[in-house]
Amino acid sequence: MSYEGFRLTGMPDVNEILVSAADLRKSYGDHEAVRGVDFEIRRGEAFGFLGANGAGKSTTMRMIGCVSQPSAGTLEVFGRDPRTQGAEIRARLGVVPQDNTLDGMLTVFENLVVYAGYFGIKRRAAREKAAELLDFVQLTARSKDQVNELSGGMQRRLAIARSLINDPELVILDEPTTGLDPQARHLVWERLFQLKHRGVSILLTTHYMDEAEQLCDRLVVMDEGRIIASGSPRELIDTHVTKEVVELRFGTAHTAELAALADTLDGVGAQIEPLPDKILVYTDDADDTNAALEIRDIHPTSVLARRATLEDVFLRLTGRALVEDEA
Amino acid sequence: MTTATATAAADRTAPGTLTGAWRAFTLQLALYKHIWHGTVFTSVLLPVLYMVSIGIGVGAYIDPASIGGLTYAEFIAPGLVCSVAVMMLGNDMVFPVFGGYETWGGHYLAQRATPLRPVDILNGHLAYAAVFRPFTNCTIVAIVMAFFGVYHSWWASFAVLAAALVSASLAPWLFFWASSLKNDSNLNMIFRFAVMPISLFSGVFFPASEMPGFLQPLVWLSPLWHGTELARAATADVAPALPPVAHLAYLAALAVTGWFAARHVVQRRLNF
Repeated sequence: MSYEGFRLTGMPDVNEILVSAADLRKSYGDHEAVRGVDFEIRRGEAFGFLGANGAGKSTTMRMIGCVSQPSAGTLEVFGRDPRTQGAEIRARLGVVPQDNTLDGMLTVFENLVVYAGYFGIKRRAAREKAAELLDFVQLTARSKDQVNELSGGMQRRLAIARSLINDPELVILDEPTTGLDPQARHLVWERLFQLKHRGVSILLTTHYMDEAEQLCDRLVVMDEGRIIASGSPRELIDTHVTKEVVELRFGTAHTAELAALADTLDGVGAQIEPLPDKILVYTDDADDTNAALEIRDIHPTSVLARRATLEDVFLRLTGRALVEDEA
Repeated sequence: MTTATATAAADRTAPGTLTGAWRAFTLQLALYKHIWHGTVFTSVLLPVLYMVSIGIGVGAYIDPASIGGLTYAEFIAPGLVCSVAVMMLGNDMVFPVFGGYETWGGHYLAQRATPLRPVDILNGHLAYAAVFRPFTNCTIVAIVMAFFGVYHSWWASFAVLAAALVSASLAPWLFFWASSLKNDSNLNMIFRFAVMPISLFSGVFFPASEMPGFLQPLVWLSPLWHGTELARAATADVAPALPPVAHLAYLAALAVTGWFAARHVVQRRLNF
């Protein structure tokens, strides 16, 4: 990959705070979408907002992106106030919105050059930069095609390229791989990992746990407008859940029946969590749990032991699975 | 600190009003490069068809004495220049504005994520619809008209200015209207209840004084009527219905009030 445009010349100052929020709030009428959140994002890190739809993560991102005014609390981006210096802040940000907002009538190349113009980048520099970025996202061969002709994954990569046109100090990505097929997801992750490797600061929202685990150095879990946990993916797992999880299924039994079955499992693990289709047993040793099930003569139709993930963290903290809120 | 050329090239400051409008306008310019050939119909063929079928064909049956001693072609030519401006607004300021906020368009949303402010986005689109389009396409229309021998002096070139004033007076209100709609099912209403009636009943094809008395106030409200009166004064040296300054003041008042209304709604729509 020849693109070197955003390689850092030295190690980033990881102590430099790019974004800081204190008791940040956002209300729409009577509805308080963000209910007093505190966080800091440092230069060079990949920071994630994890949460179900409606948790307040996109609203928080919009405030950081200076397209939404906080209702209360303090927010600083690059040490500036988004309320009064929004345009200056946005000049230093790269944004990949969930809907891409690419211009379908323009070609791939034109999308980048026109967007560069919004940042005051001169046409010649814009064309050079656009060519470099298309190389980076592996779309050079499609540069003369209209955006409408691209697949969803290609459009996503183009949106990522567009967000880098002004050599941003912080790239904001809202649900970067939602709606993409697995292959396209992995290609986007790979490009984002490249960015991260080159020291570009990344801020992303996601409700995909694997995405958060792969990309984020640090993340916060949001629920109903509040931050309910924060830390690195490993720290969150170590702090909030056991090492392993045993998933038990009992044929066609579901919600109420599983809840009743869960009551009989008390003591086979550190915590029992009945879900609509299965029961999760949080345990530090899956073998011990299986042995305990045998002793009690409990025979699920399927038993799956796995290591704990962020999904389990979310489940234990909120008492529900992310998919329930996806509508 | 980064090494990229674009770091030096990117402007890290907030753009001024004119700079912001220009940057937003460049999107419209890029889009126009893809559609300009389609505008040939509106700018060249449509006026030719109008002039041949109505200006010459229908005109053969019209007594010049009934329209101030002008030939019918001379009578309708200035109004057609202004009418094309209104027709273009129907294309430029309805779906493109509505779609700017929607996921299927989203160009305003994309611009909003950059240093451009909502008012820059408004001004950029207005610069295209109310300045660039009339001064390019209406100029072509006016030149086409010249081949029908309807002008007698270089004052006729002011018809393009009148068309631009009509655009400027209507464009912000269309922006306001299209930005205020929540769904696209009502978008075509503007063609049925505004563009079409304005085009037909603004004194383009017959003297507005021939309209029934109770409809006269509607004629006076129409920016196209004010523009046509000014354009006809330029091309045919006919005294307008009101002092020119009154026509100008009305169009300017519409433009200014419309801009404030449009600014209000674009700021509301693009601040989340």
